[in-house]
Amino acid sequence: MSLAAGPGRGGGGGAQGQLPDEMKVVVEKHVAYIQSLDTRREELEYHLTEHLRISGIYWGLTALHLLGHPDALPRDGVLDFLFSCLHADGGFGAAPGHDPHMLYTVSSVQILAMVDGFDELEKRMKDGKLKVAKYIAGLQQPNGTFAGDEWGETDTRFLYCALNALSLLGFLPSQQADQPPLIDVPAATAYVKACQNFDGGFGTEPGAESHSGQVFTCCGALSITGELDSYLGEEGKDRLGAWLSERQLPSGGLNGRPEKLVDVCYSWWVMSSMAMIGRLHWIDKAKLTAFILQCQDPEEGGFADRPGDMVDVFHTVFGLAGLSLLGHPGLVEVDPA
Amino acid sequence: MGKYADDEQWSDVVPLPTDEGGDNPLAAIAYSEEYEETMSYLRAIMAANEYSPRVLDLTEDLIDMNPAHYTVWLYRAQCLFAIDSDLKEELEWLNETALTHQKNYQIWHHRNLIVDKLDQCEGETAFVESMFERDAKNYHVWSYRQWLVRRFGLWDKGELEFTEQMLQRDVRNNSAWNHRWFVVNGQEGAAGVGDPDIRAREMKFAMLAIAKAPQNQSPWNYLRGITKKSGMSLAHLKDFAEQYASLDQPDNIHSSFALDLLADILVEEKNTKQAAQALDLLEKTYDPIRKNYWAYRKEQLGLPAAVA
Repeated sequence: MSLAAGPGRGGGGGAQGQLPDEMKVVVEKHVAYIQSLDTRREELEYHLTEHLRISGIYWGLTALHLLGHPDALPRDGVLDFLFSCLHADGGFGAAPGHDPHMLYTVSSVQILAMVDGFDELEKRMKDGKLKVAKYIAGLQQPNGTFAGDEWGETDTRFLYCALNALSLLGFLPSQQADQPPLIDVPAATAYVKACQNFDGGFGTEPGAESHSGQVFTCCGALSITGELDSYLGEEGKDRLGAWLSERQLPSGGLNGRPEKLVDVCYSWWVMSSMAMIGRLHWIDKAKLTAFILQCQDPEEGGFADRPGDMVDVFHTVFGLAGLSLLGHPGLVEVDPA
Repeated sequence: MGKYADDEQWSDVVPLPTDEGGDNPLAAIAYSEEYEETMSYLRAIMAANEYSPRVLDLTEDLIDMNPAHYTVWLYRAQCLFAIDSDLKEELEWLNETALTHQKNYQIWHHRNLIVDKLDQCEGETAFVESMFERDAKNYHVWSYRQWLVRRFGLWDKGELEFTEQMLQRDVRNNSAWNHRWFVVNGQEGAAGVGDPDIRAREMKFAMLAIAKAPQNQSPWNYLRGITKKSGMSLAHLKDFAEQYASLDQPDNIHSSFALDLLADILVEEKNTKQAAQALDLLEKTYDPIRKNYWAYRKEQLGLPAAVA
């Protein structure tokens, strides 16, 4: 569930005091950076990223939880904005006036879980949780996968999103054993398995190239349905773990596919997948930690995709989540699935 | 005043300004004037459920400004179908747009909807190839290519040759390797590499690619994929692996992937001592960043202590 499993701190201790400066996470600066994001509305980029508004709040809020400052964004403001994106059918759009979509619906559910806001949802919409769950369930396709919206683009991202959100809402068939199931779980997991490739990785659909992000969504989906261990077995885990560990390049950073550039966000997609299959120790942690910290802006806060690039909130949350999985001091511990 | 407010063609529409803003500190969004004006006309049009040619102009304008706004794309698609618009013309416009916004998801989904409705794919593979000129690893474009192959049954219409050309240009393009696997094995009911002739052809293809660039993960994965799918013993690859990684010449290893494969072959042969030697070389010399992985593989051998 909530991404942050806290209140305990990861990395055995939490004190960063003894670390050299370049190894420290500048916690206060990251908090200030995330708080500043909502005040930069004069910039062109702000409205061009409107389609990501809900996701932006999710990323920012998750980062704040990891940093141990979960209250640094105003809860009421977050909830008001969230509900202004809620449609009568139970779906959430990216921003007010945007059509409902799976991605923003799951981000909204995740945000509600983080701020403990499900009661608010029930207050603002009668049977709100059930309505949201039904919106999500309604996007399942006959072949088991899920579409992003009524127009039917499908992708294993959406499938993972659906299972994640339904589990947070408590509406997975296994959580509602006395009710008729909202979704067909066996069909969904069969679809995920059909996305596994000859190299051991997973893609967006059957036949599509293995990609670390999709490995995360497919392992996450199987983990939520409780089938990851039985499906992969030790041999399958070794094979997938080998592919994932090959994502680490000499710079210490991780890439998403063979022969592609490293990027901080793969710290999360690759490592969380390795953690789910119990192979996280195959990463060279010291080198990856150093790489992620090179992407940190120690003056203004935030993380970039690669050293020297511009920071953004997306790479900030995945940089922090990566460091948390690595057990870096000063961060709250995170749940890989 | 603005572009739409001053336009005769739009004088019947009362623009709908955004309903965001107000007291909510997290919701207020300040737009550029032009974008805000255009959006306010779209809101009005959508509220009235209007489908007409001018909707296409309006959505084109918005997509130029912000191609990631998925609602705009969806409304445009609805409109195209509702007024029975010329879909070939739409594709021509999309060609331009796709070249400007290569990492956009919506463009490809939109194209998908249009071509599916058109029920023919003339010119599509050529367009995809022109996209690959710019980025030969674009995930959306490869997914779209696979969709074309499935939807229009292009399996044996030059697709294998296409992967060959892509790999001639860049033998390290993992996306092209994946597509080759898909073309050979992806068709329902196809024997793929289960057929001995096809298997021989594909193995030869991968081996020639390895000869060009031994330290290239993709063809090694491809070879292993063939053996796994066809149930073949790895031992068939021993001579080949030893061309690039021989334990007799530990200072002269040309490929860590060959050494990895050799280690597996030695395990299959129950030659654990030599397997440990190979894994040791990987751990200490040829792939030290994954030292914990190689150490794990050595543990699996069940030897009492590490071989020096």
